[in-house]
Amino acid sequence: MKPDVPHVLGEMAQLLVRNTDPAIQPADRASALGLSAALLGFAAQAWDGMAHHLVQENRRVRVLLGETGADEDLRITALSAENARLRAALIAHHAQVEGKDSAAEEAIWAELKLSTEWRAVAGSPV
Amino acid sequence: MSLEPRIAAYVAERMPHARGVTVDSLGRISGGASRETYRFRLSWTEGGQARERKMILRRDPPASLIDTERRIEFEAYRAFHGSAVPVPEMLWLEEGDGPLDHPFFIAEEIAGFQAGPGLLWAEPYLGTHQRLAERKWSILGEIAKADVTALGLDKVMEPIAPADCWTRELGYWEAVLDDDEAEPLPIIRAAIRWLRANPPPPPAKVGVVHGDYRTGNFLYDTDGEIHGVLDWEMAHLGDPLEDLGWSLNPVWSFGRDLAGGLVPQADAVAIWERASGLTADPAALHWWTLFNCVKGQAIWVSSARAFIDGGNKEPIMVYPPWALQNAQDRATLKVMGRL
Repeated sequence: MKPDVPHVLGEMAQLLVRNTDPAIQPADRASALGLSAALLGFAAQAWDGMAHHLVQENRRVRVLLGETGADEDLRITALSAENARLRAALIAHHAQVEGKDSAAEEAIWAELKLSTEWRAVAGSPV
Repeated sequence: MSLEPRIAAYVAERMPHARGVTVDSLGRISGGASRETYRFRLSWTEGGQARERKMILRRDPPASLIDTERRIEFEAYRAFHGSAVPVPEMLWLEEGDGPLDHPFFIAEEIAGFQAGPGLLWAEPYLGTHQRLAERKWSILGEIAKADVTALGLDKVMEPIAPADCWTRELGYWEAVLDDDEAEPLPIIRAAIRWLRANPPPPPAKVGVVHGDYRTGNFLYDTDGEIHGVLDWEMAHLGDPLEDLGWSLNPVWSFGRDLAGGLVPQADAVAIWERASGLTADPAALHWWTLFNCVKGQAIWVSSARAFIDGGNKEPIMVYPPWALQNAQDRATLKVMGRL
């Protein structure tokens, strides 16, 4: 989830403070607060399961890449950084097996489909 | 100084016969991550008569979701004004930072209609979808059919050879992804490899491409009529199928599994073919639909980048990546037959 949730929440806190100023135009305030409410909703959805899903996904991608190892640091920033490293390696691996190893290719597509399921937000258009 | 007197001073200089030019009822219109959009009322006296007109101000933000040339947007609107493609009348374009801190243009407001897609999924709009779809893809067909030279848009938009349409567009948006992505995107990278390995045929004609033609970017009423096509900031010359493919991007289905949330895809394509006089080769249309999944993702990623780098910290910059980045991945899987 980019931008990272803590970064966005920090900015939203400042935005809420700015909107306490009575001089802010009502239309601007309504726009800022409406969007902030929507973003808080997304953050709330992601909050509880994020670490669990990243650990699970990192584990599955390591298997696809033939890597060993496990996530020791369970902070979301650390898990996300490892996830980014693994998914970058997955892109290279996918390109390598394309048209050459259909079983490996299908396994990657299955993982990619799975990767979109836990990231789906309520009300997603697809 | 607030915005109202500055707008009034700018307009007064451009209306030499007007006296007592004032601006009031200024309000920002929600949304719009690539331009700040305001509506206002302009009042003045001319020949002893009091007059007023509702207007729109579109101003560049400090950092945008997409980098676009406002002159091209302005000229695209102007070219289609009075044609079968309904658009608001453009009045003034300012490319300097002096008058209102950032470049902007001012246009007439087409007032009294809706643009937000959310209203369409409830009464009184549920019965209008067929008519609205007919108008939506007929107008897109008119854009595809338009004579670029007769409109004068060959003088403001970068020319392109038919065979180069797909390489230029894919190259551009892939470079945006390279520059702006904040995390690896395995699905989109797989789509790009497929697109490069399976290029589309050259278009029958190079036409005007609106660049963001979708439900949500036109003004509609309760009869299913369209009164204004908006958001031309990504307009360019290219393959007319590019626009059709963008309109069929599954993220614009609004969860309804219909083209634009309105009608089955085959119906939308048939309307477009009838209106444009062009044929939408299924394989080529599939290529352009998948391409538009890549383009969409590049736009959402750019929005995230503008926020991350501090160029624009408004919540509107976070909404597209958080709401649509995963949906765009799923749309890509769907178009590739993997979902």
